[in-house]
Amino acid sequence: MNALSFRMATALFVLVALALAASGPVAAAQSAAVDPAATRILERMTEYLGGLKSFSVNTQLTIEDVTDRDHRIDLDVSAQVTIDRPNRLRSERRGDITEQTFVYDGKSLALFNPGENVYATEPAPATIEGLLDYARDSLGLIVPVADLVYHNAYELLMQDVNYATVIGKTVIEGVTCDHLLFSRPGVDFQVWVADGDKALPCKYVVTDTGQPGWVSITTVMSDWDVTPDVSDAVFRFVPPEGAKRIPFMRPGASTPSSP
Amino acid sequence: MKQILNILLFAPLAALMFVVDVQVPGEGQPPSFQLVSEAQAIAGVRRRSFRRGVVIGSAASASAAQASTAAPAQQQAAQPQPAPTQPGALPVGMVVSTLPAGCAPMTIGSVEYQHCGVDYYRSAFQGNNLVYVTSQP
Repeated sequence: MNALSFRMATALFVLVALALAASGPVAAAQSAAVDPAATRILERMTEYLGGLKSFSVNTQLTIEDVTDRDHRIDLDVSAQVTIDRPNRLRSERRGDITEQTFVYDGKSLALFNPGENVYATEPAPATIEGLLDYARDSLGLIVPVADLVYHNAYELLMQDVNYATVIGKTVIEGVTCDHLLFSRPGVDFQVWVADGDKALPCKYVVTDTGQPGWVSITTVMSDWDVTPDVSDAVFRFVPPEGAKRIPFMRPGASTPSSP
Repeated sequence: MKQILNILLFAPLAALMFVVDVQVPGEGQPPSFQLVSEAQAIAGVRRRSFRRGVVIGSAASASAAQASTAAPAQQQAAQPQPAPTQPGALPVGMVVSTLPAGCAPMTIGSVEYQHCGVDYYRSAFQGNNLVYVTSQP
């Protein structure tokens, strides 16, 4: 169960990995195989998202897996995320396999597992981007939709991209979306971006092309709300009755830090 | 004699194959290409069983530390360990993702432990994962 929840936790935020892994500038000379029509739409999406003061979205993530007996299975997890720039974030993952709430109010972060009724809390940096860096580097913690939050999301996504094209238009969850394909060594990713004024991502597929099998991780995003409830209570963590505070075990540490 | 020779020849070869299997997934990627290894960690069950050996041996990175929870981790094996508190007790600092059977909560000082036989575990978040760490009250 926990092995699974590790996989879910890791995979839920693989989008983050994509964004975080890329750290350099966009390659100066991208080949002619990069269709500017595709990059324009991607840039429009990242700029639209980057310009939003706050938003909330539901994400449905599917991870392709292969069992020990060589059967293909899909693992699913849902998450609801609310962002209020510059310094507040809440995410809730719910499912059979994993339940977790993450809350950040600009001063501290809290991670809460309702199933076990345990939580950890720590002082946190003053901005969401600082929080994401701190959570990843100091706590080994991965926070949802980081790639949508970073101000340079476009540059991060375009890192090492050597092929990009517009596949066409389709409809996802009732929304007409442009279907884009981007490729870089070892990884293909497809992005579906809503047509029209609100260039929101509809869906996202990351495929590992560096290994046989070409397994993918799919995220469908729905119920975008660009005027969500951002009252203080949303971003405040109050430990429920009987909840036990536990420490974080920092990456590389041999003992838990004091709670 | 010939059989022994065969075994002697085969053993290093087998070991080499294992080592190659273990190392290939983690190598050959630019350091920035975390995504691929993430995807592998998530998706490649057969590879994962090999990868654990690699991951557990290098607990320095966040992803490695997280991945070690996928297996009863001997993550700290390379580091010097304090002597066990009791004969037969596990070394302090071992990380597991599930507790053994027959544990009872026990508060010592202000810290809650799970007392399992001769071992004491503390709950902690290792990344997003709830884990249990052998501790000495």
